[in-house]
Amino acid sequence: MGDLKLTNLNKAFGTVHVLHDVNLQIDDGEFVVFVGPSGCGKSTLLRIIAGLEDVTSGAIAIGGRDVGALSPAERKIAMVFQSYALYPHMSVRKNLAFGLENLKFKRAEIDARITEAARMLAIEPYLDRRPKQLSGGQRQRVAIGRAIVRDPDIFLFDEPLSNLDAALRVQTRAEITKLHREMQTTMIYVTHDQVEAMTMADKIVVLRAGRIEQVGSPLELFDHPRNLFVAGFLGSPRMNILKGRVVIGDDRSVLVDVGYPTLLRSDVDPAKVTAGQEVLAGVRPAHFALSDSEGLPFEVQYHESLGTETYVYGNLQGQSAQVIVHRYGHFAPAPGAILKITPQDDRLHVFDPASELALGRVSGRA
Amino acid sequence: MARAAGLADRALDLVMALFEAPINAIERVIGKGRMPYLFLAPNLVLFGIFTFLPIAIAIGYAFTGGADLLISNRPFVGLDNFRKLLACDSYLVPGSCEESLFWTAIWNTLWFVGFNVAATLLVALVTALILNRAIAARGFFRAMFFYPVLLSPVVIGLIWKWFLDRNGLLNAFLQMLGVPPEIFLLDVGWSRFFVVVVSVWFHMGFYTLILLAGLQAIPKDLYEAAAIDAATPSRTLFRITLPLLGPNLLVVLILLMIRSVQIFDEAWVLTNGGGPGTANTFIVQYIYQMAFAGDLRLYGLASAASVLMGLVLLVLTLVQLRLGKKVES
Repeated sequence: MGDLKLTNLNKAFGTVHVLHDVNLQIDDGEFVVFVGPSGCGKSTLLRIIAGLEDVTSGAIAIGGRDVGALSPAERKIAMVFQSYALYPHMSVRKNLAFGLENLKFKRAEIDARITEAARMLAIEPYLDRRPKQLSGGQRQRVAIGRAIVRDPDIFLFDEPLSNLDAALRVQTRAEITKLHREMQTTMIYVTHDQVEAMTMADKIVVLRAGRIEQVGSPLELFDHPRNLFVAGFLGSPRMNILKGRVVIGDDRSVLVDVGYPTLLRSDVDPAKVTAGQEVLAGVRPAHFALSDSEGLPFEVQYHESLGTETYVYGNLQGQSAQVIVHRYGHFAPAPGAILKITPQDDRLHVFDPASELALGRVSGRA
Repeated sequence: MARAAGLADRALDLVMALFEAPINAIERVIGKGRMPYLFLAPNLVLFGIFTFLPIAIAIGYAFTGGADLLISNRPFVGLDNFRKLLACDSYLVPGSCEESLFWTAIWNTLWFVGFNVAATLLVALVTALILNRAIAARGFFRAMFFYPVLLSPVVIGLIWKWFLDRNGLLNAFLQMLGVPPEIFLLDVGWSRFFVVVVSVWFHMGFYTLILLAGLQAIPKDLYEAAAIDAATPSRTLFRITLPLLGPNLLVVLILLMIRSVQIFDEAWVLTNGGGPGTANTFIVQYIYQMAFAGDLRLYGLASAASVLMGLVLLVLTLVQLRLGKKVES
């Protein structure tokens, strides 16, 4: 069984504390993506699960079995490295066979598994080549193949696509997702690329500075980020953040005043805030609606046309940060033009500026 | 700092300006295409005098006889010297050869090369594997093993002689343990054994360094992949480390063979000139004795032996160059 439970995990390299009290439950068959900026501890966490790094304190259980004291080989995991880490002096076939030979598998079983993995990954023509004779994408497949033949409880991927070019990355991304659907094995995937996280994961774990910021499905995290960091990290371009104050409406609803007659409607529980309280209002670029009559006066600076969509950059008077508005299709407002914009219903995120925590509805968990 | 750097720049500019005019003048005379050879010339002259000229002289002397040093006074004897060196009933029995000492030296050298190459390679490899691990005081050990390489061969010979002498340190130590003293350097077996020991101790640091560089070039994640692949330490050594160290091992092997064939100074000092008897007389010593140490100065014979040894070394060097190219590609 490929379920994983991390309990109060801590890791320090000397005096540098890189993971703080990590608690995480991953269910059997889930595709989980660890995402976060460089140095957030996501790769270290993966290496700890693999057994390549010791923990400073805390427990790791795979399939209900405490594996903290076990070697990488005894944990029933397989890992795909960022560098692929193929044995350069062995043919593809020997690369795939090496682990099974070490585990004293019978020759027929080894051959059967290699044939099956080679078929799944379409690497049959390369079985007798050396890694050096393969392209980056082919090496990547061999590295995945080496993991597949082990038939592990958990697959671990450490930024496996970062050495591929953009087109190949999109293709391989889809293939790994397909592989997961076919195999139904737990996969843990580390990346700093939010697109990979959003497109591949059943569950995303957002890490910052060695702490888990939020765990949840991609859309839960996108729609209901728990704090400013998660709100800013997922979604491109970034969420717009406006400074404002709480106004309690006649119907007891919580509105946000960002310095204009138009008040922004939120789903914040009025019991949690007081009128006049300073808050940060977050709106994703795609969640602004244009209107002719009322709205926030957005002064256009310039725009970027990507063909199917357009990003308009500008600002709101009295707000220091630049504001980005997303429109589908062709859209070419003149610089200096004033557009009236309002957040779409239920698309306003409200954060407490001191704690940076979301005040509205939050999905998933910290 | 900035001012000092500025001054240095200005000084350099001044020197360059000083040379600019004459160099431009030379370039005008000989043409731009020949300029590289002008800059190579000083080195070529030195190489010519101290390397190429002696080689040519040795080859010339190999075909002459007599005891005179001046080549104009030496009679041409054709292949006589080579014939003398190679005249033998059985090459396996040096006594049956006309120049028996030459064949004794060849056999001594072959035995020495065999044992020395095997022992040095093994010791250097084990040392490199240990030093490649994260052990305490690694830097100190690396320096310590390399240190003998910096010493003069004569110093090495003298240190070990002092250690192995009848009244040396080793015998003093053995006596403390109640073991009767041994005259190591007068015993054929022991003296040969210690010539190899001294040679290993002297040179291993150099080869350890080459192997260590090779070990450090092996990516760490291959070992991590091997750990996940359930490879035992011995499987990791034989299936990952040694194959990937192959190119370095080959270089070390060839260099070691070339250097071992050339054994002379430290062994000569240690064994008082190849003793006991001729037990530790090697090729280079034979050449030295024929040319400079005997009552008869047999320059022709010594040169012929040099040429033969040079040919063997040439083959080994070509093999090394070929392997080096293979490794690069």
